[in-house]
Amino acid sequence: MKSSRTLGLVMIAPAAIMIVLFFLMPVVLTAVFSMTNMTTATGISGGAYQIAPSSLNTLKSVMPDIAYEMAEPRYAIDEAGLKAVEGLGLAPGIAAELRAKHAGEVFPTRREAERMLKDLAERPSTREVKQISEQFNRSIVNTRFDSKGQLFSALDTLGLKLTPEQKETVARASYTGWTWTTDNFSRIATSPDMARVLFNTALYVALVLTLFNVGYALLLAIWTHYMPPRPASIFRGIWLLPRITPVVIYILLWKWLAWDSGFISVLMGKFGYPAKNYLLDTAYNAWFFVVLINGFIGASMGMLVFSSAMKAIPKSQFYASEVDGASRWQQIRYIILPQMRWPILFVTCYQTLSLLASFNEILLATNGGPGNTTEVWALAAYHTALRNYAGNLEYGLGAAMALVLVVIGVTLSLLYLRVFNYRTLVAKPLIED
Amino acid sequence: MAERSQPSANYKSWPVMTALTIVSLPLLLMYVYLFLDTVTVKQPDALLPSGLTLDHWRFLWQTTPGKANIWQVTANTLLFAACTTCVVLIVSSMAGYVLSRLNVPARGFFLAGVMVLHAFPSVTLIIAIFIVLQMIGLYNSLIGVILVKAAIDLPLGIWLMKGFYDTVPWEIEMAGVVDGASRFRVWKSLVLPQVKPGIMALGLFSFLSGWGEFILPQVLAPGNQVQVLSVYLAGFLADDNNYDFNMFKSVGLFYLVPVLIAYALFNKYLMNIYGGGSKG
Repeated sequence: MKSSRTLGLVMIAPAAIMIVLFFLMPVVLTAVFSMTNMTTATGISGGAYQIAPSSLNTLKSVMPDIAYEMAEPRYAIDEAGLKAVEGLGLAPGIAAELRAKHAGEVFPTRREAERMLKDLAERPSTREVKQISEQFNRSIVNTRFDSKGQLFSALDTLGLKLTPEQKETVARASYTGWTWTTDNFSRIATSPDMARVLFNTALYVALVLTLFNVGYALLLAIWTHYMPPRPASIFRGIWLLPRITPVVIYILLWKWLAWDSGFISVLMGKFGYPAKNYLLDTAYNAWFFVVLINGFIGASMGMLVFSSAMKAIPKSQFYASEVDGASRWQQIRYIILPQMRWPILFVTCYQTLSLLASFNEILLATNGGPGNTTEVWALAAYHTALRNYAGNLEYGLGAAMALVLVVIGVTLSLLYLRVFNYRTLVAKPLIED
Repeated sequence: MAERSQPSANYKSWPVMTALTIVSLPLLLMYVYLFLDTVTVKQPDALLPSGLTLDHWRFLWQTTPGKANIWQVTANTLLFAACTTCVVLIVSSMAGYVLSRLNVPARGFFLAGVMVLHAFPSVTLIIAIFIVLQMIGLYNSLIGVILVKAAIDLPLGIWLMKGFYDTVPWEIEMAGVVDGASRFRVWKSLVLPQVKPGIMALGLFSFLSGWGEFILPQVLAPGNQVQVLSVYLAGFLADDNNYDFNMFKSVGLFYLVPVLIAYALFNKYLMNIYGGGSKG
């Protein structure tokens, strides 16, 4: 019967639509953006053509003569200038003669333009010549053109002789919008800053994972396992607090502990140490707190997973070992740990992905500081694309960095699916109607 | 050996209790002082408070110039968390059922996909969605953030609901189908009541995660009109001009209380879900 299939499709549609819209589309777009040089300066939509000083610098290396010519103002006898001359209230013959004899001419320097003006029939005075020539001062620099055509015609009217290839070069150098490029990836591959961030990320994931998400979580689980149920659940409750506390408050608490007017400072002050900001004074301390802050959150998941796995160990094994005179350490070593292999593997895999993607806590606590010592990959991508001090947000580069993270995450999770034998998760439905 | 009535000599529980208390001290200290500092006065160099006051709570009845009104912000946060929860519950209770029970094409692929989605870093989504929302004009509106947040919690929700549906015995549905009910009716009136604990747990989880969400509203809806508590508090922290730690803590406590109440009442459900894990 088809009805269950149709129903299935209808019921899964909202989820599918949301996932396409908010997961797949952003990722595809991230890939698209990562191939562009989008920044705040280029904008997100189109751009215009504007020969800015920076474009001139680019051009100077390719065609120095023309770049030099462009940088200098030129004198073009055009209609707008003639109108302005008429408005100056000088002898009317001047403008008329200019229009008749010189309209459309372009003089590369002011001296040449003024020599021509002095030769006019009206013989304007030197002061007037200066005034008149000023009306024809035309420069291509810093004028916005909405299309390539307008830019080229402006180049032509100013009498700049360029070959079509040179024109294209000028257009490329002066385009203010974004263009397609693969520079982002080569920048990521070659920049020493990125290498530093990569190292930070690896260190951060390794430290938090081994010390807290697995190590400390295992310790908590074993400790609470050997306790009467009531205190055990109280302690588990305490260690879940960091996870359920909204991240902003949680970090606020740590800051209260570690800032220069914070608890640690006051406490150490009692022993005669000067107050200081324990969170940010040295890179070592910043790392210490970053690992602690994230570790306290991360430990709870491992604790719960390991605790429930320990509950599943048959009691008889413990009784038997005690009869045989096993110490507690031997129980842990020979009964508990061997049976924790899969839970530990699962937590390790799962939390690696979580840690790679997490940056809220570091953003709020140290914001990557002091300097860039605690900047991890996800945070660096966020800073690059959405929030930085320079003010020029590099969407393209940030997207490329984020894409690297996606590729790593997806690769790892596919690998995990293989390890955890994905087939067992997908059993066939029993009602085949 | 938790269940033993008489622990043997080498299984005393007090050494472990002491050890665990010592390592839990920093956390306990932070939370205890969070309560203390909001209602007391403390000298700058003292460890213990020296008097009671309600002055730190003044943000409840007076609005700092340039900041949003606390009640408006609280209403926004509530709306945001509640809407996110509704969307996540409705969508994942349907999708989870399909993945657990119905035979749709590419079902296995979808399941694997949901697993993989979990690995997508939120920063990726934020950058692209930020640019898209700017283009389509949903920037600085709660609707955009609600949809994005719900989508991010969706993979976990679908996965969790599927797990709960998997534990429902097939006989229930078979009985329903034999009695001539449609598959939809069977789902609605027979299966859904069976997964109430799952819906409860997921609802709580999603509400708490919406309530605590910071980065999405911060990037996608930072404006005063649509501000949520996390952004409001972060704004206080970033503002160096009127620096008053005790007031921050009061705002923080005001923000934390609903979470603690929910946690105290329903920690059974929450343990269940955080054991399965979430991002972070």
